[in-house]
Amino acid sequence: MRKNLTWRWALIGVVTALAFFLMWPPKEKIRLGLDLKGGIHLVLKVNTDDALRAEVDSAMERIRQALAEKGFPPETLTRLEDNTGFSFRPAPNTDQELLRKVLSEKAPDFKVSQGVTVVCRLEETVVRELRDLAVRQALESIRNRVDQFGVAEPVIQRQGDGDRIVVQLPGVDDPARVKELIRATAFLEIKPVVAVAESEEALLAQFGGKVPDDAQVVVGDRRDITDRVTGKLYYLVKKASVVTGRDLRSARRSQDQFGQPAVGFTLTPEGGKKFGAYTGAHVGEQMAIILDNKVHSAPVIKSQITDSGIIEGNFTVQSAEDLALVLRAGALPASITYLEERTVGPSLGRDSIVRGVRSGLVGMALVMLFMLVYYKGAGINANLALSLNALLLLGAMAAFKATLTLPGIAGIILTVGMAVDANVLIFERIREELSLGKTVRNAVDLGFSRALGTIIDSNLTTLIAALFLFQFGTGPIKGFAVTLSLGILISMFTAVFVSRTLFEQVLVRKTGRGPQTLSI
Amino acid sequence: MRFFTNPNIPFMAYRRFWLGVSVALVLASLGSILWGPGLKLGVDFSGGTQLTLKFKEEPDLARVRRALESLKLGEVTIQRFDEPELHEFLVRVQNPGEEGDFSKAMVEALQREFEGGAAAGLDLNNVGVDVLRDALAAADPEGVGGSLESRRQHYQAQAMAVLQLRKELGIFASPEVLSRVQGLSPEVRAFLQREGRFGEFTVLAAEAVGPLVGRDLRKKAAQAVGFSLLGMLVYIAFRFHLPYGIGAVAALFHDVLITLGALSVTQREINLPTVAALLTLVGYSVNDTVVIFDRIRERLKLERGKKLTEITDRAINQTLSRTVITSGLTLLVVIALFVFGGDVINTFAFVLLVGIVVGTYSSIYIASPVALFFTELLAKRKARSRR
Repeated sequence: MRKNLTWRWALIGVVTALAFFLMWPPKEKIRLGLDLKGGIHLVLKVNTDDALRAEVDSAMERIRQALAEKGFPPETLTRLEDNTGFSFRPAPNTDQELLRKVLSEKAPDFKVSQGVTVVCRLEETVVRELRDLAVRQALESIRNRVDQFGVAEPVIQRQGDGDRIVVQLPGVDDPARVKELIRATAFLEIKPVVAVAESEEALLAQFGGKVPDDAQVVVGDRRDITDRVTGKLYYLVKKASVVTGRDLRSARRSQDQFGQPAVGFTLTPEGGKKFGAYTGAHVGEQMAIILDNKVHSAPVIKSQITDSGIIEGNFTVQSAEDLALVLRAGALPASITYLEERTVGPSLGRDSIVRGVRSGLVGMALVMLFMLVYYKGAGINANLALSLNALLLLGAMAAFKATLTLPGIAGIILTVGMAVDANVLIFERIREELSLGKTVRNAVDLGFSRALGTIIDSNLTTLIAALFLFQFGTGPIKGFAVTLSLGILISMFTAVFVSRTLFEQVLVRKTGRGPQTLSI
Repeated sequence: MRFFTNPNIPFMAYRRFWLGVSVALVLASLGSILWGPGLKLGVDFSGGTQLTLKFKEEPDLARVRRALESLKLGEVTIQRFDEPELHEFLVRVQNPGEEGDFSKAMVEALQREFEGGAAAGLDLNNVGVDVLRDALAAADPEGVGGSLESRRQHYQAQAMAVLQLRKELGIFASPEVLSRVQGLSPEVRAFLQREGRFGEFTVLAAEAVGPLVGRDLRKKAAQAVGFSLLGMLVYIAFRFHLPYGIGAVAALFHDVLITLGALSVTQREINLPTVAALLTLVGYSVNDTVVIFDRIRERLKLERGKKLTEITDRAINQTLSRTVITSGLTLLVVIALFVFGGDVINTFAFVLLVGIVVGTYSSIYIASPVALFFTELLAKRKARSRR
C-alpha cells in the first residue's frame, strides 16, 4: 500500500501544480465574460439580399449596354421582386441569335427562360455562393475594422453557416461609436452627375417625369457658403460608377482647403487608370461622391485626376477618422441589422463580480466550518479535497479557455455543493459500517466502494443534463454548462481519489498502534 | 456529532397525504402561470430594448415613463433595483415586431425629458474616452499648442483618469467631484466644470434582443430543458428500471412546475440565467433522487421477499442524514448567494432556494412513491399475464 500511496501523492502533486500553473495569476488567466468585465456583445445579421441585388443590377446594366450598342435597347428592364434575377422585354426586331449571344456572354450565371419577356434568374448554387460570400466578406471587413479600433481579445465569429455574426468586444467603453463603426456600410461610389435640382419633381421634369433607365436619383445636403446645411439637393447620376470603394488603396483623415476635417483617399493603379481616363475626358463636368447612397459632395472636375481625391462634407475630426478607417478596412458587401445587443458598463460588471465572489466565499466558509464541526478529523480531509476542487476547476477553466460568467460563478458554487455531497455520502457510509461493528480498515474500504456507485450514478445523471445544456444552450447557459461539467468531473476526482488517499495516509500511520480509531 | 441515530420514520405511510399536497401545489402553480399573473419573460425571451440607468437623484418615474412612451415602442416597464439610495433602474421598451436597437432613441428621449432642449455640449456622465479626449484636444485648455495629433496624445491620460473616476462612482453627481480625479490639471478641470454638462443619468448597461433572437432563445432553452430531461429518463431507466426513470422524471416535472409557479407568484423575470438555474435545480433534484434509488436497489438485493414499501422506507431512512446534510449545506451556500449576491444574481439564487427545498422533498415523496406505484403495477401485469 505504501508504494501505491507514493504514486497517488505524486499524481495529486502533479495535478495540483499543473492547475496552479495554469490559473496563476487568476486575473490574467481566467477569462471573464462580458457580464463581469463590461463590454459589448452583438449579434448582427448580414442582409445578403443586398449582395444579390448588386449582382443582379450590374448584370442588368451589362445587358442593357450590350443590346443598346447593337441598336436594340430593351423596351423594359426590371429586377425581380426577390432580387434573384431580372426580366426584360427586348425590342421587337431584336435578332434572336444576337440576344442569345449577349445573354450567354454578359449573364453567364443566369438561367434564362425566353418568352415575350425574357426572365433571367441566378442559378441556385450561385445564389447560395453569393450569400455565403457576402457573409464571409462582411466578417472579414468587420474584423479589419475592429482590429484597427484596437480592442483586446475581440471575438468575431459567424454563427454556423447562416447569415449571423457574433461580435464580442470586452472592455469597450463607448458602445454607440463602435456600433456605428461596425454597421457603417462605407460603400463609396463616384458617379457622373447628369442633373441637379432642389426637388425630385423639378429634377425629373427635365426628363419627362421619369428616371432614365441608365440613371438614378441620389440625395445630398445643400449647403450655403459657410458650410451650413440649408436643405436638400437631388442629383440624377449615372448608374454605372467611375470608381468604387474597391478601387481604393488607402484612406486617411486630412483637411479641405478651408482647414476643415475631410477624408483623403488614394486609388489603386488600376482604379487610378480608370479615374484618370474619365476625369481627363470630362473636365468641367460634375461628379458625385456617394457614400452609402448619399451624396457627400459633388465637385466639378477641374483637371485630370489620376490617383487621389478628397471627400468633403460636414465632418468632425472623429467622424472623418472613423470614415477613413472603414474605407481602409473595406466596404461591407451588404447592410447589417443588429439582432441582439448587450452592453455592460464596467462598473456594473465589477460590482457583480465582487458580490458574486464574496457571497460564494461566505457560503464556502460556512460549509467548511460545518464539515469540521460535524466530521472532525475527516472534516479536514473533506475541506482539503474541497479547496483542491476549487483550484483544479479554475485551472481547467483556464486550460479550456472557458469564460467565467455570472451563472458560471453560480455553477462553481453548485459544484462545491456536489463535491461536498460526495464526501458526505462516503463519510455517512463509513459511519454506518463502523456502527455495524466493522474495523476501521474495513469500514473505510466498504464506505468508499459502496458510495462510489452512488456517486457515479448521481454525477453522471447531472453530467448528462450539463452536456445537453452545452449542446443547446446559448451565451450564459453555455458558460454555466462548461463550469458544471468540468466541476462534476473534478469533484469525482477530488472526493473519491484525493479523499481516499488522505484516509489511507492516516490509516498507514496508525498501523501497529493497537486498535484503530478514526476521527469521523 | 450526528443528527440522526438509526431513524425509522414510516415515510411511505403518509404518501397519500403528501401526494395530495403536491398535486394541490402543482395545480396552484399551473393556475398562477396560466390564469394568474403568469410568467414574466425578461428581455432575453420577450425581446425588446432594456437600459440599466443610474440617476443622480431620485427621478420622477412618471416623467421617465412619459419620455419612453413618447417613442411609441410598445409597452414600457420600469423597475427599481433593490437599494433605493443607488437610484438605479431598469427601463425597457418592447419594440414589437421590429429588429434593431433602440437604446440610442431611449437615451435621447430621456435626455429631452430631463435635460430639456439643452442636451448639447459634452455630457460627462455619458461621454466616451475618445470623444472626451478629442474635445479637450480641440479646446486645448492648457494651451500646449502643436498639432492636433500631439494634443490628442497630451490629453489622453487625463480623459482616461476622468472616466476611471466615473467608473468608480457610477455617476458624477456635481462638477465639484472632478477635484477628486487623479492627475487632472487645474485648467482642464476648470474647462470641464465650465463647458461640461453633468447629465441627470448615466447608462450602466444596455441590452437589445430582437424578436428573431428572442424566439430563437426561447426555442433553444426549451430544447435544452426537454433533451436533458429525456437524457436523464433514459439513463435512469437503463441503470435502474423503467419505473424509477418515470419516478425521477415525475419528480422533476413537479419541481420545475412548482418553481415556475413561485416565479409567477413573485413576478420575477425569467431570463437566460434563470433557465440555467432551473436546469441546475433539475440536476440537483435528480442527484438527490438517484442517491435514494441507489439505496433501494442495494436493499432489494439484500432483503429479497420483503415488501417494497418497507424497503423504500428503510432506504430513505438510511440516507436521511446524508440528505439533510447535503441539502442543508447547499442551501447554506444558496442563502449566502441570495442575501449577499446582489440584484443581478438574486433571481438565480431564488430559483435554487425554492428548487432545493422542493427537490429534496420530491425525492422522498414524489420520485419514490411513483417508482413504487409503477413497479407494483408492472408486477401485477406480469403476474396476470403468467396466469
